[in-house]
Order: sequence, then C-alpha cells, then structure tokens
Amino acid sequence: MDVAAKLKIMPESPEVDLEKLREEIQAKLRGIADVKDFKEEPIAFGIKALILLVMVDDAEGGTDKVEETISALPAVESVQVIDVSRI
Amino acid sequence: MSDQKPHINLAIIGHIDHGKSTLVGRLLYEAGEVPEHIIEQYRKEAEAKGKATFEFAWVMDHLKEERERGITIDVAHRKFETDKFYFTIVDCPGHRDFVKNMITGASQADAAVLVVAAPDGVMAQTKEHVFLSRTLGIGQLIVAINKMDAVDYDQKRFEEVKKQVSDLLKMVGYKPNDIPMIPTSAYNGDNITSKSERTPWYDGFTFFEALNQLKEPEKPVDLPLRVPIQDVYSISGIGTVPVGRVETGRMKVGDKVIFEPPKVSGEVKSIEMHHEPIQVAEPGDNIGFNVRGVGKKDIRRGDVCGHPEKPPTVVKEFTAQIVVLQHPTAITVGYTPVFHAHTAQVACTFMELLKKLDPKTGQVKEENPQFLKTGDAAVVKVVPTRPMVLEKVKDIPHLGRFAIRDMGTTIAAGMCIDLVPRD
Repeated sequence: MDVAAKLKIMPESPEVDLEKLREEIQAKLRGIADVKDFKEEPIAFGIKALILLVMVDDAEGGTDKVEETISALPAVESVQVIDVSRI
Repeated sequence: MSDQKPHINLAIIGHIDHGKSTLVGRLLYEAGEVPEHIIEQYRKEAEAKGKATFEFAWVMDHLKEERERGITIDVAHRKFETDKFYFTIVDCPGHRDFVKNMITGASQADAAVLVVAAPDGVMAQTKEHVFLSRTLGIGQLIVAINKMDAVDYDQKRFEEVKKQVSDLLKMVGYKPNDIPMIPTSAYNGDNITSKSERTPWYDGFTFFEALNQLKEPEKPVDLPLRVPIQDVYSISGIGTVPVGRVETGRMKVGDKVIFEPPKVSGEVKSIEMHHEPIQVAEPGDNIGFNVRGVGKKDIRRGDVCGHPEKPPTVVKEFTAQIVVLQHPTAITVGYTPVFHAHTAQVACTFMELLKKLDPKTGQVKEENPQFLKTGDAAVVKVVPTRPMVLEKVKDIPHLGRFAIRDMGTTIAAGMCIDLVPRD
C-alpha cells in the first residue's frame, strides 16, 4: 500500500449517526483498502462530513472500488476524494 | 514550522521509475525533516557493521516504514520548508486512474517538480504528466534531470534530455526558457542544496535555489464567482443549504446568486464554514450557504453557483484539447464517455476529431484524423448529452478541465479551449 487517499463523505442528512456510519464503512472496506484514520469535520448548519484516510495500492490503480463501496450505503449522500499522494 | 512564510503545494510528477520518491526523500533529508532518531539509528547500525559511508537508501526505507505506521489525516502529507517558503508535497501516483482524483480533487498544486531520469529521457508517462500539469493549471515548473550519476555526470547527455524536455514543454504551452532544468542525483545529493563538483559545467540554480524562485500563489478572488455544488441539504428551521467549495471569486452574505444549468436564482442569507458563520467566502473555502428562493429539488450536484451579472456558462458544444491516457481500441466520432468536470458528471459525444498533435513539436500532425488511440494528443469538438457548466480554461481554469471516463477507467484528460454557450 503506497498511496494515501483522503475521502470526504457527506451524510444523507445531518441526523445520520457518523460513528455508526464509520463502523459500517470500515467493515465494508475490509479487503479493499486499509483505513488508517478518520475524523468528523464540521461543515455548516449542523452538517458534518466524515473524513477518511485510506491506503491503496498504486499498481492496483484508483480509488473507484472504495468510492463505489461507500456510495452504495444508504446513509451516504456523496463521496469525494479530496487528496491523493504517494507516501 | 513557521506560519509566517507563504505556503506552496508542490506536486512531484514524472515517470514512475525516474526517482521521484528518492528526490522527495532527499528534499526532506536536506531540509532537516528526517527524524533524528532514524539518522541516529542508522549511525549505530553502520558503526556496528564497520560501515562509514552514508547510505541514503537505508534512510529512505526507514522513512517509508515510519510513514506507513504513523500516517494520520493531519500528517498525510510530507512537509518541509526553505528560508522563503513552507512546502507541502503531493507525490503523484503513477496509475492513470488517479488522474480523475487529481483533476476533480480539492488540493490544487501551485507548482510542480518534473523528474526525468537522464539515462531514459522523456518517456510516455513524462509526456502525460506534463500535459496533466498544464491541464491542472500548474503554471510553475522545476525540472530535475535526475540520476546523473548513472550517466557519469555527462554534460552531453544532460543537454540531450534538456532538449527533449524543452520540446515537450513547448508543445503544451510552457516556456522552457523560464523553467529551471537542473542536473541532479537525488541519491547522491548533487545540486540539491549546493553546486556539485561533479557537474562543473552547470552554472544554473541548485534545487533549493529553484524552489526559492517560485512565486507565491494568489487566490483567484478577481475571477467571477464559481461554486460547484457538491450536495444540497434541506435543514429544518434554516431552509435550502447547498454545500461546495468556492473555486473562484467571492461570495458575500446578501449576494444575489444564480445556479446553472437550471437557471434558478436566490439570495444568500447566510454562509457557514466549519459551523461558524462568515460574511465572505473565498477560493478554497468549503462552505454551506443558505439561499432564499431556491428549493432543494431545484438544484443538484454538478450545478454551479455564480453571480447573475457573470453567470456560469452552460455549454451547447465545446472544443477540447485532450490527451488519451488509455483506451483499449480507438476513439472515433460518435463515442460518448462520461466527462468529469468540477462536481459534474455528464456523458458527452465526440462530434468531430479536428486535429492530432505531434507530442514532439506541438505541430498539427494530422487534420481530421479518423481515430485517436492511447498516447495521442488531439483537439476535438464535443457535445454534452445534457446541459452542463464548463468554462474556457483561459478564462476560469478551475472550471475548464475534465477527466474522461468509460467502463470504470480514466481514458483521457483535457481542457476546454473554446465553447458555444447555450442560447
């Protein structure tokens, strides 16, 4: 694993339990990417984003699988890769 | 680190085996960013084994191990400083599927270091990365002609590669004469912080001098307001709250705004960033703003917010300069892949292949080619299958670039060089 990708996950509404969502995401990503860190980031008017730091393989290419897996969850409004860099 | 110095996001680009990571390691080492305990540990090991010479590879390995163990959101990037600037390094992944992330992602590089190995010269990936850095609007470049140790610090070879790189840079619109091209060996540390005795024929900048010559990035506050919408919420007691990042211009509380393509207007009642109310939002700010007169269902992801005097441009068709990164067969007229531009994803049809460009000279190689394949740079005419906002890259660079995707891969990247607006 040599590429660190930062993802910004927006919940479907401000009522979504981000702690629970994070656990769900971590479980779903097992075997796809290595979740290294996460935090909640306040955006506006009570809406918070979940920021995730995952490691993926440069040779495998891209963050598509990670994005698709997370987007498929009903509590997720959108997923955006905000940053990628080799470490 | 100091907060007083200007901050520069530095992208490291180039072919995967040309020594990018070694150069990054070298920069960190010379800037004093390699933790003391790693160097100390090395000294002890070297002593025990009776080795006296400094082995950079060892330090590199341990740095990587440490990073993998201790990486967090807040230290996901490596940082270093010179006496003038504070740098954050983005070491670009080699795989082409990451191109989409680089184009639509949030962290815009202010300058790029192009690494080209002297033994190999310009390779396919070097071409791609140079084109991409132009597409990404990175105006400032430093070229490291690296692995000079592998060509015995030969001036002739340096000049040959320099010529290759200059031709390539010219093609995409850079001015090679204004770009420092430095003979380096990242491994041995030549011409990094001081002039190397092994290249007595070279009288240009050292790498650190070149870094200090970079210009401080300016926020594009004078361009028209553009906020591509990421998500739209309806918050009880507040109303409609679009969320997005200000790319250009300024948004103030009280502003009249328009969302395109739906062409709905409203008034900004309040803006928040990090849950704090703000009066003015600037480029780079991730905001949510409450608009009066716009319903949640009126707008959606991919729409762009601007001021009614200079509304976001909805395109009927546009002319694009693209580079084909990977395509299993060939691109012909009628092909309709998905264009990812800012937060929009819209299927667009190739209507005309206008010309194919020669990557070596930038000259037109072929007028009206029948097809395009992997590695080709070309100018094409494109029609979106539904309304979308796009700007000419020379007017608003941030909204003029896109990645082209099909069947789960990024097949091309490009920029909008001309357009026909919707009537």
